[in-house]
Amino acid sequence: MISVIRAFRSEVLKFRRWSVLAVAGVMLAVSTFIAYLTFHQIASGATGREMTGLIAAFHTPQGLVSIIGQARSLIIAIALVMVTANLAAEWSQGTMRNLLVREPHRLRWLAGKMLALVLFVVLFVLLSMLLTLLVSGIFILVLAQGQGIQTTPWTSAEGLRVFAAFLGNEVLCLIGVSALGMIIAVLTRSVAAGVGIALAYILVVEGIIAVVLPQVTQWFPGRVFNTIVGTTVPLVGPTPPQGYPAALAAALLWTVGFVVASAVVFPRQDVTA
Amino acid sequence: MSLSSDPAGIFAIETHGLSKHFGRHAAVDDLSIRVPAGTIAGFVGPNGAGKTTTLRLLLGLVRPDGGSATILGHSLTEPGRYLPRVGALTEAPAFYPGLSGRTNLEVLARLGGHPGSRVGELLELVELSDRARDRVGTYSLGMKQRLGVAMALLPDPELLILDEPANGLDPLGIIGIRELLRGLVAQGKTILLSSHMLGELERVTDWLIMLNQGKALFCGPAHELLAQRVEVVVEAEDAVQLGLLARIVGDAGYAVTREDHALRIACPPGFAETLTRQAREAGAPDLSIRVIEASLEQLFLALLKGERS
Repeated sequence: MISVIRAFRSEVLKFRRWSVLAVAGVMLAVSTFIAYLTFHQIASGATGREMTGLIAAFHTPQGLVSIIGQARSLIIAIALVMVTANLAAEWSQGTMRNLLVREPHRLRWLAGKMLALVLFVVLFVLLSMLLTLLVSGIFILVLAQGQGIQTTPWTSAEGLRVFAAFLGNEVLCLIGVSALGMIIAVLTRSVAAGVGIALAYILVVEGIIAVVLPQVTQWFPGRVFNTIVGTTVPLVGPTPPQGYPAALAAALLWTVGFVVASAVVFPRQDVTA
Repeated sequence: MSLSSDPAGIFAIETHGLSKHFGRHAAVDDLSIRVPAGTIAGFVGPNGAGKTTTLRLLLGLVRPDGGSATILGHSLTEPGRYLPRVGALTEAPAFYPGLSGRTNLEVLARLGGHPGSRVGELLELVELSDRARDRVGTYSLGMKQRLGVAMALLPDPELLILDEPANGLDPLGIIGIRELLRGLVAQGKTILLSSHMLGELERVTDWLIMLNQGKALFCGPAHELLAQRVEVVVEAEDAVQLGLLARIVGDAGYAVTREDHALRIACPPGFAETLTRQAREAGAPDLSIRVIEASLEQLFLALLKGERS
């Protein structure tokens, strides 16, 4: 356990890199900007088809989460890229050999690093939610109340329950996505290949297979990670056709599967970079 | 290959039939070497000889296909038992270019559980204190190399494995590394030093391992190797006589380098006498034959040519 804590503390130091901070900054900026746009459209009386559901939900306990969750598809993609690139870079840069000489128990090192990465990703998603709340607060003060928009259901008991459920599922989703990023990085051992495969898989491959075999793809990792969040608030993502308990079980199985696969492969790999 | 005996009998590194294949290519082939504790062992060989793979095997970075090894008394299969007492700089030093030199060392110090104060001490030792807060991406090759040496010294290792530590250093830097290595050996540490700078190796090493095509050509005390061979210089004005001599040397199986009016032959000391006699018998009496001590570079080339012929 001490080794895992050491690896965790060591990893935290690396977050000072501008590349890591830039990705996190993009995550913050994008989610805040999308929240701003959404508020702006609602406040300016937009009536587009895509806005109807949002406007309808705005006064309900799901209103806040519907706004916060608008950027989550993008955030998931950014989180996947960040985890994959960060881990794969240890091979590409050649730093893996330094690390494994100092910590020869590879799984302990991987556990510490992944723990730090997942916490970092979750922290920045929470931070982006906080910024979105600030934006919403400003809008409520400046615009919404002036236009008679009611936001009290957001802070009702039901509103807070929805928010907590959203948060819990979002964290589970991010853990699953991070585990997917980990196995891709472990298998490719290259930033370019890892990020390329991760993006192609999450954005293209699952989509193409969904067209041909929709019944099968509903169980694919990208889908189940996404749909467990959609269960809480349908406006922030698709709902799971197989039902929440089944989707949650599938998400957990995928996550465990990725962790086990990484734990089997990584200690047996030759570090030649 | 002869495996010379060590009077002390304590070896920091011992390998027995160690092998590693990448596909069909044998990078390390049935390698048996040993390095006595408290020595600087030079590790030499041409590109592709298997030096880097051997170092990676010793560091637990790649897994052997066959054979065994003991490092600091522990089996190669238990790197967790010996690596905390090993420092390493393999190939070009790799760092996070976006982090400062200090933070790069702190990352490894935290990972290895070494005290933070060690980072400052080592930065001082490799004379990087004044640039410690700068991004490594802005460092010169020599500065990265010095940071790599500091990285290797982080655990205050009993065994130091260094791959081309003087690469990119200016003459003062090379002298500095030489002095540093001598100081470390004086403290009882063992150093395995891989380098193509044979002249530099000759100055600092007291044990030599020569590798070619994954096999050891020599493993033993440096003086034993140097005594095995000399350089015989044959000078003559007559090109025909020199040609005759070159053929005699070639037939005897020794490597010969031809210059304008001279031949340079790497061979055992006793061969000079044989050569003089054979030259006389072959009708080439007007030769000047001198015996001089061979350099490590000449020995290396001679062994390599012998291996390839």
